[in-house]
Amino acid sequence: MDEDNKITKKQVIETEVPMGTVHSAAIEPYRVRLFVEDEVVKDAEITVGVNHRGVERIMEGLPVEKANSLTEKICGICSNSHIWNSVMVAEKALGIEVPERALYIRIIMEELERLHSHMLYLAHGSEVLGHETFAMRMFYIRETVMELLRMIGGNRVQYGVPILGGVRPRAELDQMRIQNIKDGMDYVEEKILEFAERFVSDPMIMSRITGVGVLKKEDAIRLSATGPTLRATGVDIDLRRDMPEYDSFDFNVITQDDGDIKSNLLVRVLEIPESIKIIRQAIANLPDGKITNRGWDMEDTPITKSYIEVPRGKLYHSYSLDDGRVRNVIVRTPSITNIGAMEYACIGSHITDAQLAIVQCDPCFTCTDRAIQIIQI
Amino acid sequence: MSLKSYSRARAVHVMLVYTGGCNGCDIEIVNCIFSPKYDAEQYKIFLTWNPREADVLVVTGPVTKHNEQPLREIYKAIPEPKAVIAAGACALMGGVYKNINGDIPSEEIMGPVDNIIPVDAKVPGCAVRPEDVLAGAVAALPKLLNAK
Ligand code: SF4
Repeated sequence: MDEDNKITKKQVIETEVPMGTVHSAAIEPYRVRLFVEDEVVKDAEITVGVNHRGVERIMEGLPVEKANSLTEKICGICSNSHIWNSVMVAEKALGIEVPERALYIRIIMEELERLHSHMLYLAHGSEVLGHETFAMRMFYIRETVMELLRMIGGNRVQYGVPILGGVRPRAELDQMRIQNIKDGMDYVEEKILEFAERFVSDPMIMSRITGVGVLKKEDAIRLSATGPTLRATGVDIDLRRDMPEYDSFDFNVITQDDGDIKSNLLVRVLEIPESIKIIRQAIANLPDGKITNRGWDMEDTPITKSYIEVPRGKLYHSYSLDDGRVRNVIVRTPSITNIGAMEYACIGSHITDAQLAIVQCDPCFTCTDRAIQIIQI
Repeated sequence: MSLKSYSRARAVHVMLVYTGGCNGCDIEIVNCIFSPKYDAEQYKIFLTWNPREADVLVVTGPVTKHNEQPLREIYKAIPEPKAVIAAGACALMGGVYKNINGDIPSEEIMGPVDNIIPVDAKVPGCAVRPEDVLAGAVAALPKLLNAK
């Protein structure tokens, strides 16, 4: 039993409330076991693996272009992040130069995706909180961003914009599209500020989310939490600040101090204007020129790694190239590193808050089922 | 018209079950019912997460090995008459996950959905568009409303 409770170092608790894998309170299938005493959660355990589809296995041996577009299907929320990072692995390995204009378009896509991911989080959070009106409002604002994504990439969910050496010709930004993005950003900014104002001045919501589901700073670091979940506990880390792609952009890294649901929501709300700022800069300084560089040759390369900051944290992709085909694919998504944080955030809260405490870490269980076991023969 | 079909004609409850797709379809479906832009609630279509309340089951995803049994049980738990909508390329034919290189089927995927439960309406797309989901829901309604 010591074995089971290594993380929390709590004694064994008799009453268990299992939820899942399909449960009416949880949208995605996953299994949570809550160990309760007097309706207070003393320990929690999250089991994933239900959604395992083995995308890495399917990618193994595919031509690199095909494999890149397959990474999109890992997650329908941060699909652009996956394909961007996967393309970046090959670009790093083969030394492909990406034209400036293509880089800016990729960043615009990534930031639009951050907007829609954070808004989805806020909508989902409000729904779990029991405030459906806020959820609907959020979905309505999010619709503007979805339409922009559809305009650029041609699809509402999987846009497939980055390709090796640039972006797809479909995603070229002309004057009309740029104007649409500008208008969209003005609208979203106005509405989000309105929303934030209402949110923080609503005493009922604030009392419901303040001090609930607290994740301490030391715990977050120890459990290797990442992304906004980590920033909500006061750790000032954002990979975007260190990525050379974001060098020419000026933005602030948002942190909050408490690590509770309020901080988590606020980090995301406040990151939305920062993303809008980045998009505005990208549009104002959009360089002229080509959007694809086709002057490169395929080679065999050793395993190459790439990390980027995606809406939910740090994303890792690595593979090697062999005769134009990918080998040894490993994908590590932010949600899987945040699982420890989710378990820990439940502890100490009332059982009705446990679901909220899990949702505050922005889980995406379709990303999570990555682990592949390699059996040695 | 019996009381049951009278009330059913005025409130159709949709249950969304997620069987291992990429989340894209699910969010589009939730979006289609919740978001004020598409607002399926104005056509008296409501979202529920409880199979015993549901009339229509919307299935997304290619049905992974661990989701097969839960899906059968959810289907059993829904009271008659019921309709099933399979939404998305994954649910219709296994999507990109079903075949590994050529026609080697993946061991992880038990789908498509009509291998497991009978499907009444199919909504194509990867990801499905909210407009198509509304059309699919409308296509499944006669089965519910004409049932005695
Ligand atoms: S059909 Fe496409 S968008 Fe829908 S779950 Fe499957 S991969 Fe995702």
